Amino acid sequence: MVPTHDPQLLKGVLSLLLLRLLAERESYGYEVVQRLRALGLTDISEGSVYPALARLEREGRLQGHLVASRSGPARKYYRPTTAGAQALAEGTESWLSLAAVVHPVLVRRLPDPPTATEDT
Amino acid sequence: MATSPSALDRLRIERAVWTMNARLQDLPRRSRVTRRRELRDNLHAAAADVGARQAVRQLGDLRILAAGYLAAEYGELSRRPSWAAAAVTILTVEIVMMLVDYAGRTAFDAGITATTPDATGTFRWAGVPYLTSEATFTYRNGTHTSVGGAWTPLVYVLMFAGAFVTGRMWRLIFAWQRQRHLTPLAVDEERNGGRS
Repeated sequence: MVPTHDPQLLKGVLSLLLLRLLAERESYGYEVVQRLRALGLTDISEGSVYPALARLEREGRLQGHLVASRSGPARKYYRPTTAGAQALAEGTESWLSLAAVVHPVLVRRLPDPPTATEDT
Repeated sequence: MATSPSALDRLRIERAVWTMNARLQDLPRRSRVTRRRELRDNLHAAAADVGARQAVRQLGDLRILAAGYLAAEYGELSRRPSWAAAAVTILTVEIVMMLVDYAGRTAFDAGITATTPDATGTFRWAGVPYLTSEATFTYRNGTHTSVGGAWTPLVYVLMFAGAFVTGRMWRLIFAWQRQRHLTPLAVDEERNGGRS
């Protein structure tokens, strides 16, 4: 079965993921989608990634530059700016801090459900 | 090596691109062209991977994608101007003015030819009050030519003031302020040569 992810949760961390992936290697829009899918986010759509890239660029966190392509028009590759790298560092710290609190709670063993008792 | 898409695939891609373009009318032109080119390029890349039909399908609902681009440009909650509404207002004023002017000229001509079917001479039409200037009709044997009758400045004021109001153009000021705040970041980046 293909795992699905809560779109709201994903939306919250998508910017962070994009900044991280592009810090590792600059990519163009569709390549970013492919990389996210390869990570396991198989249900992510281009429709959420492309506007997110546009927003990060607009906010000055990503910088786009055109690279000539053999198979068609020049492709727009993105890479983080200094502001983007700073946002990535802060976001990563914030996420890890939150995960450190949330994860142990969610993996704790639940108490056994109460057994049904007969009324006297 | 990537194969070039078939004519049908190109059509599928172009249809998606131009549908999206139509939904992005409220974006500034430069931004809209950039998004359009980038979307086309990404669709071509996706089409080479999974086929054009699937590439377009993977975009999802184009309305949602367009809303995402608009939110990326203007912010999630910020209100934005409507270029489409402004254009419709300008067009409406133009059409109404053409109709009013045509009706006025036709009525004036009907009045002249009703009294003198073979009229010859020069007649002055005062125009539509406040909206068109005076026009001169020159008749020869009942047929006429005319000069004048230009729209007054008030028409242009109505046209552009109407476009400003219906298009909520004052919201551009906030968008420009936001852009001015964001642009120095990008300029600094370019000066610093990207990543340090």
